[in-house]
Amino acid sequence: MADDKRDTSTMDKVWNFFTSLKLAITVLIIMAVASIFGTIIEQNQPIEKYRQVYEDWAYHLLDRLNMFDMYHSWWFLLLLVLFTINLACCTLDRLPRVLKVVRNPKTTLDENLEKTLGQVDRWKKKGSLDAWADKYAEAMGKTIGKPRVTKNGDAVHLYAEKGVVSRFGVYVTHTSIIIIFIGAIVGNVLGFKGFVNILEGQSIRQVSTPRGDRSIDLDFAVRCNKFTLTYYTDEHGHQTQQPKEYASDLSVLENGREVLRKKIVVNDPLQYKGIWFYQSSYGQAGAASAKVAIREPGGALVTGLSLFAGQPVEIPGYGRITGTDYQPNYQGLGPALLVTLEKAGQPPSQLWLLESRPDFDRQRKDRYYLSFGGLSQAFYTGLQVAKDPGVNVVWVGCTLMVIGLLIAFFMSHQRLWVRLSPSADGRVDVVLAGSASKNRLAFEKKFEKIQSDMKAVAI
Amino acid sequence: MLNVRLFDLTTLLFGAASVNYVAALYGKKDTLARVGTWLCVIAAVVSTAAIGVRWAESYKMGIGRIPVTNLYESLVFFAWALNFFYLFVEWKYRNRAFGAFVMPIAFLTMLFAFTNDSSIQPLVPALQSYWLHAHVITCFVGYAAFAVSAGVAVMYLLKARQEEAKTDAGVVRLFPSSKALDDLVYKAIIWGFPFLTAGIITGAAWANYAWGTYWSWDPKETWSLIVWLVYAAFLHARITRGWHGKRAAILSIAGFLATIMCYLGVNLVLSGLHSYGGS
Repeated sequence: MADDKRDTSTMDKVWNFFTSLKLAITVLIIMAVASIFGTIIEQNQPIEKYRQVYEDWAYHLLDRLNMFDMYHSWWFLLLLVLFTINLACCTLDRLPRVLKVVRNPKTTLDENLEKTLGQVDRWKKKGSLDAWADKYAEAMGKTIGKPRVTKNGDAVHLYAEKGVVSRFGVYVTHTSIIIIFIGAIVGNVLGFKGFVNILEGQSIRQVSTPRGDRSIDLDFAVRCNKFTLTYYTDEHGHQTQQPKEYASDLSVLENGREVLRKKIVVNDPLQYKGIWFYQSSYGQAGAASAKVAIREPGGALVTGLSLFAGQPVEIPGYGRITGTDYQPNYQGLGPALLVTLEKAGQPPSQLWLLESRPDFDRQRKDRYYLSFGGLSQAFYTGLQVAKDPGVNVVWVGCTLMVIGLLIAFFMSHQRLWVRLSPSADGRVDVVLAGSASKNRLAFEKKFEKIQSDMKAVAI
Repeated sequence: MLNVRLFDLTTLLFGAASVNYVAALYGKKDTLARVGTWLCVIAAVVSTAAIGVRWAESYKMGIGRIPVTNLYESLVFFAWALNFFYLFVEWKYRNRAFGAFVMPIAFLTMLFAFTNDSSIQPLVPALQSYWLHAHVITCFVGYAAFAVSAGVAVMYLLKARQEEAKTDAGVVRLFPSSKALDDLVYKAIIWGFPFLTAGIITGAAWANYAWGTYWSWDPKETWSLIVWLVYAAFLHARITRGWHGKRAAILSIAGFLATIMCYLGVNLVLSGLHSYGGS
């Protein structure tokens, strides 16, 4: 292919540039170095934050270079494009040659080939050439593979090979990267990312984009039935402050009818019609309230109240009560609520109500008694929402990449030739030669073994 | 707790092994190196037991989980993997000189672990996933292979310099030939690279399952990509004229420095989604 005319053409120069390994190494290193900057400069922060950190000139310079959203900048994309072109060109340049070599292996061992091979050995044998050819073919079949036999004049050539597929490992890996990029592009074009907060008991039909500048309509509704936050308990069974689980009980509604219900937790999302909902955050919706029941001495319920801190509630014909304080563990007796009771014509009185002893207040022997039923807190759940039709393409690419690497690194194309020809002294000249595309040291040992095995064969 | 005592013992064994390997190199006494090997084998047994005990102890505490979830645990796991990978290399290549360049890395790692909180803490919700096992194990086997490669790359540079100068003095004389060292730098990386790749992929799959996005240019992700790119450059350099030999060895060392940055630097210096790895 060393054609002088072609080498000087511009097209060829461009092609040589894009297919060169030096370009590949350079692009890999530039991408590695460039990526570092985006980890030092925090990405996608509010402008005010950058203004605080950087001097004016530095801010303008970095902003001009798109350093605050570097991985989506035109120049980083250009690097990725250059990388992809390099990959594609290398594959287009080399794959046909490899295919040609694989389809038309050199099945005869001539003198020129012999000189290029690392492992060559020769010996002589008495007896019939054809008989030895059969014997050696059998021996090759046991180690490398059944040989192809070519008769060329007086000589007989045997050729066997193994691990041809290893020649393709590198192309599988390179193609897998392009497949991953295609998957990423499909996901970016046809998918979306979103975010939504849902109050307990409410449902939504829209989610907002991560930047919050736009909303996306869903063709179904999602309701949050309940959000629960549980904590780890210590060895004594007491609750610690370490969260154990964030869980949202979600329902998918089509035309108001529930079609799917699932409790999602971090690492276990809900999926409906290709849209995924991930537990991401939570928050308290409004203030906590205390549940207080008003009962007659016989136990009959008069009314149930929700007391918010410091907001008095009137009980007709009885008085006003206000939630004043709450203790999660009052004198070792568990959660307790302090209420202030104001009755007409009497000074206000304060009483502690224990959640564990709902009848405790009976001892006041009043018209009604109060019992505390615990705190109630409304939550909202924060969900990450995603649709990514390209993600499976990405996984196919990832799987191919690992397979390609294993083939490329751990398989080797091993070839073995035997040439038998009549010698001038009436014996048979035998030449054994071999080569391996990888791990030559290991093949050297294997070759020695084949060599001694073959020499030991007797008719 | 028992597991921590066993890890402390492992630290001492790695320290003693390092001293033996280095002393063997300087004193040219193979007996010392052989002692080093046995110390490494004992350390392998003790550290494996320690991981098992720690796992069992976490179950006894009612928070049973694989012990690879905070900085202390990941450091001891890295040292564990490094020791096993090293013993494999020593056995395979029948040369104990490597120990002086690899075992100190394991020892320093354990010393660093020693200064960190070793208590067993329950898992935060974000880490409660089966992906955790696959992700951490693949990453750390990769890291261990890269550590071995970088250690040997240093040996290669020393040996290559001596071969160029055509001198034959000092401890470098005892190293395997530069050709053999170059081969080993490469061999360690072809083990590490698929594991790192699998580690990045399992991390991406997990991120996608937990957050709905497989790649978000978080500093940890980006640094893992940087490591991957450097080793990809190494793999191509090795078959390019003018790039194999010294430059490839330097890329192997650069790759391991990037690995350390990815593993520790990101958590200790930068901020991001992997914050639980830093405490």
